Amino acid sequence: MPASAPHLTSLRGGAGNYVDHSALKVNQTGIVTTVLVAFIGSALYRPLLVLIPLLAVVLLLGTFAPQLALFKQLYFKVLKPRGIVKPRRVQDRPEPHNFAQGLGGVFLAVASVFLLPVPVIGLALALLVAVLAFVNLAFGYCLGCQIYFQLGKRGLIRT
Amino acid sequence: MSSQLWALAVVGIVVLAAACLEIFRSRRARLKSVGATAEPANEPYILYFTGDGCTVCRTHQEPALARLGPVRIDKVDAIAERTLADRFHVYTLPTTVVMSPEGRALNVNYGYAAAPKLERQLAAARGARIQAATA
Repeated sequence: MPASAPHLTSLRGGAGNYVDHSALKVNQTGIVTTVLVAFIGSALYRPLLVLIPLLAVVLLLGTFAPQLALFKQLYFKVLKPRGIVKPRRVQDRPEPHNFAQGLGGVFLAVASVFLLPVPVIGLALALLVAVLAFVNLAFGYCLGCQIYFQLGKRGLIRT
Repeated sequence: MSSQLWALAVVGIVVLAAACLEIFRSRRARLKSVGATAEPANEPYILYFTGDGCTVCRTHQEPALARLGPVRIDKVDAIAERTLADRFHVYTLPTTVVMSPEGRALNVNYGYAAAPKLERQLAAARGARIQAATA
């Protein structure tokens, strides 16, 4: 809670956890870029479609083992130390973001299954993931986080 | 190329349908929750529903609330206070509710509400109170 808002009352929970939002932004940029390259590029060179299952693997691996999250590691190992992207630590919890990333990975995995038999469905699902990542990147609205909240509210997951 | 165009059309339709659904959902929730009651106070105040996992709350909504003048803002954890959240049909975070001094919901904002919008709603709530007092 910002110190400049002393009139806020009934404060509850949430203190102590910080998330570097620059890492999230780099991750979202990576997702949007990869899907767009696969989407547009595959019109000219069809093997580029392989980027979609690869991205699904990257996202799913990164959800369960953060040290394998390719785009976040690119940020922490290259972009941040060289000062290319400045860190932006925000009081936040990593779980909703990890959940959203995992959901994106699942959608891309399903997209990968459809890519060869029904390319329209595969491409549409992948593009949807890119659109949602872009919305998060540009406007800060995270649909996966909202789903996480709804599941928590219904007691389906422990938040 | 035709697969790409069809996929683009499908995504466009899905996004459009989602936007329409969101507008319908927020209108319906707003209609149901306007008039819901909470604690009375001396002045109009704001109920601010948030949660640990709400990033927009921290990056956008709380700075906007901090920009408001002196007004009471009750911060509510929407998961811990589920009964209160359900009373105001909170389906997304953040949600801000401008309450009358009698503790009745006047305006419900689902999603991020900018400071000028909240200022306008509070001014209207204060104006209505003055009108009621002079009538």
